[in-house]
Amino acid sequence: MQQVKTLSEVNNKSSILGEVFGRNRFDDRVDQKTDVTTVESLRIIGRCIKMLMSVKGLFCAKFLMQLGLVFPALLLPWIAKIVVDNAVLQRPVGGTEVVFPPFMNPILTLIEGKDPVGIMLSLTTIYFVMLITIGSRATSRGTSAGLLQGREASSQSENTISQGSSSGNGLWGIAEFMIHVRMTQTIANNLRTLLFDRLTRLPMTALDDQRIGDSIYRVLHDAPEAPEIAYQLTLGPFFAVLGVVINLYILEYSFGKVSPELVWIAWAAIPMAFLTTFPFSGALRRTNQNKRAAGSAMTNAMEESMSNVAAVQSLGAGKQEQKRFAEKSEESFLRERYNLGVLIAIISLASAVFGVAAIYVSIIISDRIIEGAMSPGDFAVLLGVYGGIAGSFSYFGILWIKLQDRIAAVRRVFFFLDFESEYDRLGGTSLERIEKGVQFKDVNFSYPGGHQALGNIDLELHVGELVALVGPTGAGKTSLAYLIPSLLTPTSGQILIDGHDIMDLDITSLRQQITYVFQEHVLLSESIRENLLFANPQASEVNILEALTSAGCMEFIDALDDGIDTVLGRSGDTLSVGQQQRLSIARGLVRKSSVLILDEPTAALDPATENQLVASLQAAASDRLVIVIAHRLSTIRSADRIVFLDEGKVREVGSHDTLMAKTDGAYREFVAMQSVK
Amino acid sequence: MNELGLVSGYLEQGEAEPPQMGFRKMFRLALKTWPYMRPMLKHLLVIGAFGISGGLVGLVTVFVGTDLWTNKVLVGEKLQPFQATVLFVDDEYVTGDPQKLGKELAPSAGQGQSIEAGLTQHQRKTVRNRLIIWGIVGSVLTALIGMFAWYYTTWIWQRINQNLRVAMTERVESLSLKYHDNHRVGDAMFRVFQDSAQIVNLLQAGIISPLLTIYGLIIGLFFVAAFDPLFSLLLVLVGIPIGWLAVVTTPRIRQRSLANRQANSELTSRSQEVFSAMKIVKANHAEGRVWKRFDADSRRALNAAYFLRLDMVLVTLVVSLLGGGMVILTEFMMVNWVIEERETFLGALVATFIGFVVWNYGAFSIARVRVAGALYGVSGLLGIWMRMQDLFIALERAFFLLDMEPDVKDPANPVAFPTPINRVTWESVSFGYNANKRIFNSVNLESNAGSVTAVVGTTGSGKSTLMSMLLRIYDPDEGRVCVNGLDLRDMAIDDIRVNTAIVLQKNVLFADTVANNIKFGTPFADRTAIEDAARVACADDFIAQMAEGYDAELGERGGKLSAGQRQRLSIARAIVRNTPILILDEPTASLDARTEQQVLANLSEWGAGKVIFLITHRLSTIRNADQIAFLENGRIKELGQHDELMARDGGRYRAFVNAEIFGNAAGEDLE
Repeated sequence: MQQVKTLSEVNNKSSILGEVFGRNRFDDRVDQKTDVTTVESLRIIGRCIKMLMSVKGLFCAKFLMQLGLVFPALLLPWIAKIVVDNAVLQRPVGGTEVVFPPFMNPILTLIEGKDPVGIMLSLTTIYFVMLITIGSRATSRGTSAGLLQGREASSQSENTISQGSSSGNGLWGIAEFMIHVRMTQTIANNLRTLLFDRLTRLPMTALDDQRIGDSIYRVLHDAPEAPEIAYQLTLGPFFAVLGVVINLYILEYSFGKVSPELVWIAWAAIPMAFLTTFPFSGALRRTNQNKRAAGSAMTNAMEESMSNVAAVQSLGAGKQEQKRFAEKSEESFLRERYNLGVLIAIISLASAVFGVAAIYVSIIISDRIIEGAMSPGDFAVLLGVYGGIAGSFSYFGILWIKLQDRIAAVRRVFFFLDFESEYDRLGGTSLERIEKGVQFKDVNFSYPGGHQALGNIDLELHVGELVALVGPTGAGKTSLAYLIPSLLTPTSGQILIDGHDIMDLDITSLRQQITYVFQEHVLLSESIRENLLFANPQASEVNILEALTSAGCMEFIDALDDGIDTVLGRSGDTLSVGQQQRLSIARGLVRKSSVLILDEPTAALDPATENQLVASLQAAASDRLVIVIAHRLSTIRSADRIVFLDEGKVREVGSHDTLMAKTDGAYREFVAMQSVK
Repeated sequence: MNELGLVSGYLEQGEAEPPQMGFRKMFRLALKTWPYMRPMLKHLLVIGAFGISGGLVGLVTVFVGTDLWTNKVLVGEKLQPFQATVLFVDDEYVTGDPQKLGKELAPSAGQGQSIEAGLTQHQRKTVRNRLIIWGIVGSVLTALIGMFAWYYTTWIWQRINQNLRVAMTERVESLSLKYHDNHRVGDAMFRVFQDSAQIVNLLQAGIISPLLTIYGLIIGLFFVAAFDPLFSLLLVLVGIPIGWLAVVTTPRIRQRSLANRQANSELTSRSQEVFSAMKIVKANHAEGRVWKRFDADSRRALNAAYFLRLDMVLVTLVVSLLGGGMVILTEFMMVNWVIEERETFLGALVATFIGFVVWNYGAFSIARVRVAGALYGVSGLLGIWMRMQDLFIALERAFFLLDMEPDVKDPANPVAFPTPINRVTWESVSFGYNANKRIFNSVNLESNAGSVTAVVGTTGSGKSTLMSMLLRIYDPDEGRVCVNGLDLRDMAIDDIRVNTAIVLQKNVLFADTVANNIKFGTPFADRTAIEDAARVACADDFIAQMAEGYDAELGERGGKLSAGQRQRLSIARAIVRNTPILILDEPTASLDARTEQQVLANLSEWGAGKVIFLITHRLSTIRNADQIAFLENGRIKELGQHDELMARDGGRYRAFVNAEIFGNAAGEDLE
């Protein structure tokens, strides 16, 4: 049971603090970081903002639309004041020391000299105009369309990209909403497709460690957070500052004489907002990292047991897997709650601070009203003005807090964007066709763990040959074969293809010329035809049928109702393993590349099919290099040359007959083992 | 992605049939969630009681508070008796005639030139200060309770979601492979993570919110009627077109919501498939192509999300303009009534508590908020309704999985798996994945304890399927599979699988340590048992060579091992379970001859008294079996020992063996 624990092991389990805020280890093998420093945060923010360049048009449109709503919004509290003071309470216009700001002049002119009923009529007309254009007072909130969401980050990401927002309503609000949604969607799409691309181009050694569920989580649930960072840190602060400036101006202009304290309280709110929230940002970031890592771990558990459901069922491990999933899911919810706890604490503190300020302001205002320096309607105006200022300040305070979640998410995205990838090997010498062959020069290869798989390999393989790689399990046959299409790169030594060092070649053109048929045949859940087209999009109908025939697939394909258009089930499970193997060989054959590598192609084939396949391989070897890794004698025997590997070294090279001629030969002994009667 | 797609988007979308989702179905779906909510009932009731009592207290407090702040503090009227009691102030503050109070005294209120003198400045400040103290007490309490309730409700809903999720994965994993053959992993993941999450909104958005809004509306109707019955009439009038709009637009919203969920589910499937087939992608140099497809899927998902929301926003626009118009209109009317000093409809009744006998500033303030609240409530109801459609579409997708009955079911009264076992038999077994396409026709096979049976046949002849019936991965369509003459269908599935180990042809390893992979089906196996099993499978050598030995991590899908090593770990995994029946499906295909011989020798020594089945093509493996069953065209064509079968002239097995030994030429008589 102890082993099971190591998976979700928590390093700092010693205290509750460590448990909640600690740097916890979840399921990730490649990216194990759970902390972001403030400097890193700033860098991440910078990169997010740069992404706005791709949506310049939409961004400018959004800016203008939002700007357009700022000034009409300023009118509303003043109109409300007139309604209260001059219509409801029927006091004369301008009866107090409060001065109307200059932008109210047109409306003041309009109502000048009117009785309360007349004033109300004018104001109602203005209200209606504003309702239809910018939707003022249409609803209590602006325009946005969030769907209902779950209590966990992964079920909230869809809304994050697509819910949109506008502070307005009416036609204006809808237009701004559309622009906003399209803007965030475009940024999110750009980022997640970029991440997807980088993940598919990770080097093989990293892929072994990268969990599938984690990749899914990063692409689908972490990447969507980026547009919000970009947007919130550009337009957000701009409009917050604009709001503060305008409201401070109004405060100074209209109430400065009446009540100067109001102005300085507003100024004091700026540092308060930061002081209360900033110290907690580190804790919040870490709980966020943990919550997302826990979400990834849960996705891993689910993905793994769903993909291998046959193994789970046949090993009777259903209960165990359910328990594992339940634990991961519980952990993920728990991490979400820890994060919520920290957020609640910060929000409580911030609202306490703002609450004190609000009370103080209320006392001052009501004092002035009681003294008669202000009218009751001014209370509404000041509420609006202070709402504007407090809104902007708390925006700054909350902004930093809210960003922590997104930064935590986007860090996980950037981690893989920055990870070493095969992209770095694009743009080398381009290879048209491999004419001569492959040459290994003193090649060594060790896995990142330090285990040496291959040592001092010197070998020449020529186009026109059928070569068999033979040797005991774990001898390094597959590692050697992986080196040729550069799925692995040598630790030392050189691999030359037609005389070019493989490291100088453009990796795309190299792989174009080399086909690799893997031992574990993964077929895609598409039609048989599409599976072949996947390998070679240019293949004609004739090519496809040829390849399928050579690999011995036609007999079972003919029995299928839809023939080669039959859609395969999940990972090709509707076919038997032998049939899947034949299909994946056909997929290799259809590529027409200069080098064809087959890793144990015949293991699951019956002898007749095997013989047929070997014959087609021999035919294929006339104008290309065919490399076969095999244990079956019947397959090996037909090779032009046999390379016998043991413990990472090349022991013997030669044809079947030459090698069999050697008494004491390693190959001879190997063959003897198999043909014992 | 940059285009707003107002026209094009509407042209290309929306031909598909809207999903069927009537009231009755929504109700049924809601009922189905009950078993998952049931365990949390106590907590739901607690939080519900909190909410209701809090809401009532809040409502009263806001009424009294608004009256005090506007009419008393800001304007300077005297207090209602009840208000004076609450604020602990003496009789000087109280009005002599509550029924008359509330008439706006004079345009310059607060100066004391009224019929009844108002509060003095000092008194107003006292009232204000005490009101603020109450406010502080109230908000601190509300904040504390609110914060606690936030965390508490999150916890409750997460638990409910957890219950549903776990039930779903349990169901998915117990569904037969027939289901899995035809469904994508990503789809199940989307259902479990995304669709199931909507259960947390069911009570809130599907039941409580609409009920609360309706309740609020009814209360609101009466309440505004207390100010003036005309408002109630207006509310009803506004409700009619909104209701009509809801009826007309609902099918469209449902359709778009389904499209959105499907598109996102496909995106998940696509990513999952690509990430799990990464090697193939690389080797075929298909990164560019899978990227293009991902990009297209991603755009499609985003477009679906966009158009669903655009529809929602457009519907809301109509409603909000209507509601907003009404808000402005009623405000205009109210102001006029204040000016006329018209009496409120029922104001006199509540005059002891609040001073709203005639239309005044306080009455205006509060009625304005109430009327607007009621109107926004009506239009908000439509928003909730639209989101409910999405919610029920999601729940339907979640319950689709839960409603799926596994093909292979436990019997009502299972018999125990017999021990010790004597024999395993297939009795006239017929089976096909599709009803019209049989893979087997009345297959008969018997195997006794202590024997090794090799199952041989051409690729795709159904060897693996035949064996999987022993585990009840599939049940036969006709005939029966028995152990000691007892039909497997009379036994519990778990019981059978605990007693049967299989080494699958596809070596499935998990991203975990060596030891955990070996004991995958046997969580309680100790280290000695694991090491013994590894020794039988000849895996101990290479495990010992790894730096961390049995604690070494294997990487995603066991990616760091060679195929032969993976195969040996799979064998060890079956051996550690020490079951009376062992099935090995191509156990040695990736092993070299020496290792193969060693593994087989170890196995036969270890397997005394067990029933062992081997599916294989390798002669060296087949030859040593006690009996060989040659499977062809859905029947067992030949059965016997190697020498026996080789002696048959024109025998199918003989031809099969010759093809292996002599290559092409001899194999031809198979054709």
